[in-house]
Amino acid sequence: MIAPDSDNIGAPKSCSCTVKDYKSDLKPIWCPGCGDYGVVAAVYRALVNIGRPPHEIAFVSGIGCSSRIPGYTTAYGFNSVHGRALPIAQGIKMANPELLVLVAGGDGDGFSIGGGHVPHAIRRNPDLTYLVMDNQVYGLTKGQVSPTSARGTKTPAAQYANIDEPVNPLLYALAYGANFVAQGIPADLEGLSKLIEEAIRYPGFAFVNIQSPCVTFGDPENQMKAQKAKVRKLEAEGHDSTNHLRAMELAKEYGTSLYTGVFYRNPNPPPTYGQQIKEMQNQYPKKTNLDALV
Amino acid sequence: MQDLIIGMAGSGGDGIVSAGESLLSAFAEEGYYALLSKSFGSQIRGGESSCRVRVSPNPVLNSGGEIDVAVVLNWEFFLRFSGDLSVHEDTVVIYEKKSGVAPADIPLDVKLERVFEAPMEDLAMQSAGVLQAKNNVVLGLLTEWFGLPEKSIVNGIVKKFSKKGEDILQGNLKAYQAGRNYAVEHPLGIHMKLDKPRLEKNKRIISDGNEMCARGALYAGCQFFGGYPITPASEIMQYMQKEIWKYGGTCLQAEDEIAGVAAVLGASYAGKKAMTATSGPGFSLKTEVLGLASAAEFPLVCINVQRGGPSTGMPTKQEQADLFTAVFSAHGDTVRPVLAPINAADAFPTTVEAFNIAEAYQTPVIVLSDQEIAQSKGILPVIDVSQLKIVNRLEPNAEELKSYQRFKITETGVSPISRPGMFGGNYLAAGLEHDEKGAPSSNGEMHSRMNEKRLQKFNPLKQREDLFIIEGDRDATIGLIAWGNVAGIAQEAIRVARTEGIKVKLLIPKLLYPIAEEVFNDFFKSLSRCVVIEQSHQGQLYRIIRMWANVPKQFTSVSKSGANRISPREIIQLIRVMGQPKTDKFNSHYCDLLNLI
Repeated sequence: MIAPDSDNIGAPKSCSCTVKDYKSDLKPIWCPGCGDYGVVAAVYRALVNIGRPPHEIAFVSGIGCSSRIPGYTTAYGFNSVHGRALPIAQGIKMANPELLVLVAGGDGDGFSIGGGHVPHAIRRNPDLTYLVMDNQVYGLTKGQVSPTSARGTKTPAAQYANIDEPVNPLLYALAYGANFVAQGIPADLEGLSKLIEEAIRYPGFAFVNIQSPCVTFGDPENQMKAQKAKVRKLEAEGHDSTNHLRAMELAKEYGTSLYTGVFYRNPNPPPTYGQQIKEMQNQYPKKTNLDALV
Repeated sequence: MQDLIIGMAGSGGDGIVSAGESLLSAFAEEGYYALLSKSFGSQIRGGESSCRVRVSPNPVLNSGGEIDVAVVLNWEFFLRFSGDLSVHEDTVVIYEKKSGVAPADIPLDVKLERVFEAPMEDLAMQSAGVLQAKNNVVLGLLTEWFGLPEKSIVNGIVKKFSKKGEDILQGNLKAYQAGRNYAVEHPLGIHMKLDKPRLEKNKRIISDGNEMCARGALYAGCQFFGGYPITPASEIMQYMQKEIWKYGGTCLQAEDEIAGVAAVLGASYAGKKAMTATSGPGFSLKTEVLGLASAAEFPLVCINVQRGGPSTGMPTKQEQADLFTAVFSAHGDTVRPVLAPINAADAFPTTVEAFNIAEAYQTPVIVLSDQEIAQSKGILPVIDVSQLKIVNRLEPNAEELKSYQRFKITETGVSPISRPGMFGGNYLAAGLEHDEKGAPSSNGEMHSRMNEKRLQKFNPLKQREDLFIIEGDRDATIGLIAWGNVAGIAQEAIRVARTEGIKVKLLIPKLLYPIAEEVFNDFFKSLSRCVVIEQSHQGQLYRIIRMWANVPKQFTSVSKSGANRISPREIIQLIRVMGQPKTDKFNSHYCDLLNLI
């Protein structure tokens, strides 16, 4: 059962768009074999099912390889600055709650330079979908370790073995109180597009961590083919996605087990930021700009 | 008297600031003009506090220099405000008798016959039975000694204390009366009575620069505010948090300064007029996103209420030292307009103008307010909007949406801007350099063309003479330049100097950047000597003007670090020296005001 998208005032308008309608003419800068190709393909498919026309979608990203993604769609895109996609997206959603707002970026964007914004987006609960393309490396700057790189990681740009403990994006999101937390892989295109669609339909902040391998600087042992072999689908394992504690236990295995599917979906979604704002606005008698003079 | 400045200081519990506020309301009710500045120690609660009230039947241009009347409840605390409450030799000093200092021994350089001790504590205890009533004893003393409006002050006391019960109200009224009685029984023997205001009681408002910035924004159509608490700018956010919902807008108290401006940028992208407000350290944090706003050509307004810096500096003191950061902190070949209001009333139209410029040129606009303008409460004339326009951004028409190019290179450099939801207007906004459609580009020629587009669009702004105030004798050979809160000090000074027969003129730029070369060059034409007066150690505007304009031969900076009040008296003296034919004092870049005069 999918909850209605109650923050989209005026009900989502549907269109009979196909993948072609969401795909832009820009040729991706991504390396051949990059996981992000699968992610953008999954986004197209999810959007087809959602049915909002491209001009009603704002797609915001930060900086990095994966943050190029809005440009490869026909939506209104915003490839902004490093780490600030979430606050920009919140401003957009607050200014125009009727828009469908997607946010995307990499693990560096979301959990390093922009890490301070994640808990606050989650606690306000705006109706945003946040897609993190987590590849455990800084690709655009050519291979430095990232906040999700495992200890001991060596890359061409980081010849020393990484001594920093990685952050756990899933556990972070759950601990911060996110009401929808999922993980997907581009190798499972169908599963990923379903997760993205479900995240978009979830009322309030929805987080999807996508383990999208970097073909150039990433671990050669952890590319798409390897992922396909070791993936464990939460649904098949009988995980109850309303069980927050169990979700956290499974999330702890980030870096060792590769689970995909919905870790946690709050069956009773709390009010979204947009709903609370509407209530606040409706409390008062309306004023016009001339009232600012008195 | 046409002009009176009262300065008072005591401990936080003495109610000195509250007494200042009572005076301000009473003056407003009577039809006077007045300006109240408060100053506190750095403690969150308690500690020392002070205020100064300048009152006149005529509009008050600034909070004045040395005070005319000093009310000292506690010597130690009073002396901590020596920068805010400096005295002249004729200052009348009234101090608490209990402090036990003999009049001849007080630590201020004033004439002995103008020093009076008064038993303020004792009078409060005898009349009201509580020390807290001391501030109303002070009001009683001031009423009789300086001819302040008794009826309006009593009205104020009634209004303030009637909610707190009859006993408390009566106690405070008794304290006020006790002060009056004491003053009648102990005349000062000095004639200093405030003139009555003119009869026309035009409607007045009591407000400060922060509130006027917020109101100006709402008048201009601001629909989104994003910010983070910072002294002395927080009241702008607080006003928005209280009001913006009623105007159909939204407000975000963000998790940090960066998120505040980032959300503002998002709201602007979504098609709404949007604003943030901060002070120096917060402004530094916002600069990266402001760069993005310049590159992606988004309108937004960023108010920087300057305080003493760098870093945490002196958060409760005024300074004009964020001009360099406002002008130069942008990365890349960027120009972004910088405006400065000259007083609280002017903060309203200046903010409206900032929105107009932002929307017209699709650019971030910085408004440099300062602590003095932002937090001094003044009795202001009702806002006149007859000359104010409201400008909205240029949106693409149906024809343009058929093959929309967000960054189309046009004659003016301004290209129609769409917003999400607009069919056909889809584009990619980015900090990446881009072509006319918005597609990322790292082509050198494209970069050069886009830089040209983003810079040339400001050319008409530099012709805006209405963003400058020029006062005085057009053909004068000596001139002053001042901006922000110092402008009112310079205005007062040249008006006095001209009554002495000195020919002098003053230029007040409200547009600080881009430098309007022609306006400056035109002003300089008749001048052989010109001084830029500023509240910053380096004289920042002086240096920026030198970068662009053809300055007169004797072009000099007279400046003081923040929290050191520039007084109109000093500037009058400066003008007198400037008027002397033979002096080589103006040949150096920098003149120390004290050595000069």
